[in-house]
Amino acid sequence: MTVLARLKNLAARSPWLYRINAGSCNGCDVELATTALIPRYDVERLGIQYCGSPRHADIVLITGPLTKHVLEAATRIYAEIPDPKVTVAVGVCPISGGIYRESYAVCAPIDQYFPVDVNIPGCPPRPPAIIEGVAKALEIWRQRL
Amino acid sequence: MANSYAILIAVLLFPGGLFALALGLTLKGADRRVAARLQGRVGPPLTQPFFDIVKLGFKRTMVPDTASETVFLAAPLVGTASMLLAVALIPIAGVYNPDPQIGNLLVLLYLLAIPGVALMIAGSASGSPYGAIGFSREMALMLAYEGPIVLVAVAVALRTGLAEGHFPTFSLAEIVHYQQAHGAFVLDPVMWPAAAAFAFFYPANLGIVPFDIPEAETEVLEGPLLEYSGPALALFKIMSALKAVVVLSLGVALFMPLPLTGGVGLAAWVGQQLVLVLIGVTAVRVSRGRMRIDQAFVFFLKWPLLLSAASLAVAAYYTAGGAL
Repeated sequence: MTVLARLKNLAARSPWLYRINAGSCNGCDVELATTALIPRYDVERLGIQYCGSPRHADIVLITGPLTKHVLEAATRIYAEIPDPKVTVAVGVCPISGGIYRESYAVCAPIDQYFPVDVNIPGCPPRPPAIIEGVAKALEIWRQRL
Repeated sequence: MANSYAILIAVLLFPGGLFALALGLTLKGADRRVAARLQGRVGPPLTQPFFDIVKLGFKRTMVPDTASETVFLAAPLVGTASMLLAVALIPIAGVYNPDPQIGNLLVLLYLLAIPGVALMIAGSASGSPYGAIGFSREMALMLAYEGPIVLVAVAVALRTGLAEGHFPTFSLAEIVHYQQAHGAFVLDPVMWPAAAAFAFFYPANLGIVPFDIPEAETEVLEGPLLEYSGPALALFKIMSALKAVVVLSLGVALFMPLPLTGGVGLAAWVGQQLVLVLIGVTAVRVSRGRMRIDQAFVFFLKWPLLLSAASLAVAAYYTAGGAL
């Protein structure tokens, strides 16, 4: 194994998460906060940290059906995240629009606008599901480094 | 020339540079691990800060359109360089003595102010409103804590100088030697207030709860660091790891150097730092909330200033009166 590959393996143990709320009902965001905050699911043991700035982010978690109002802001924030990055869609809304499906005000499915790597379906998904999704995103991220 | 090689090694390898960086990151890891345990979590591995630095090395550095590019990229370099120098100025009791030409307390105080200034410049150069808020908060906090730390330094210098029967001495090596021979200042009631004032200085200088006001991530999204990414952000992380070692070893040198030498002395020195971090930082950090900037400002102008002034006044009184 070359030195570079070793370093990449080390780097993959420090994924920082950034949340974009694209018009979510807040259900998924509560589950995300739960995943991060309560001792039972302590994700910091995997080196995972939530960060406040898109510029520090490695893995992007997008919740919500991407309403028309938030489309431009979400696209701009997404562009501010430095490469390499992995995109994870949390909840059923980003996939199909969920309960907002076929509304005139939403742009779901969001993979028309963002290159989604992992989908975590659920309304809202349970913390173990979120952790599994993030673990899958981690594998993808390791390859992109 | 041998002299300058020795200084170069002190800055880049031991005790500065690689050694200090490894120590600073490990202390940070220990802090995160123990904080997690106190909250009933498992916590990250001890080496997590190393992973973070390596990871940031693989990311891209983005410069915002509104930023002034040269200043934006130079600020972390200046801050890190000043801290590399600063570690080499501080003696480790019985292990390392800095070159007498550079090992001076006053030089060190100037160097210690540079990372704060670098953060302020970084915040204002980034062109982000959050950075600007971070800038003004950092400046207010610096104004508040720089006064007490200067008084602490003068009190220690006066105390050492008077015990040796001459003018105040700002030579760090002399201060450490005196304490090794006559007992540490932390055991001397005259210096207790100054030691307490220094304990407050530590979290403020490093931006740790309850004084993490300029970089409050839930309020101003890490303020000056908001716009930084990739290697530039890694440099800031390295700067703060080095700064932790600088301030801790300064505290050890001023108040509690041990009369040990060689490997035992070095191990004890590292142990002292670890204990100080776990008691003075981790335990406080998990049990206290963040202060507001006005509260912190008043706090520093009240307690640490009074405490350090008390030590200084007593030391000065004895200088004038003669015996201690």
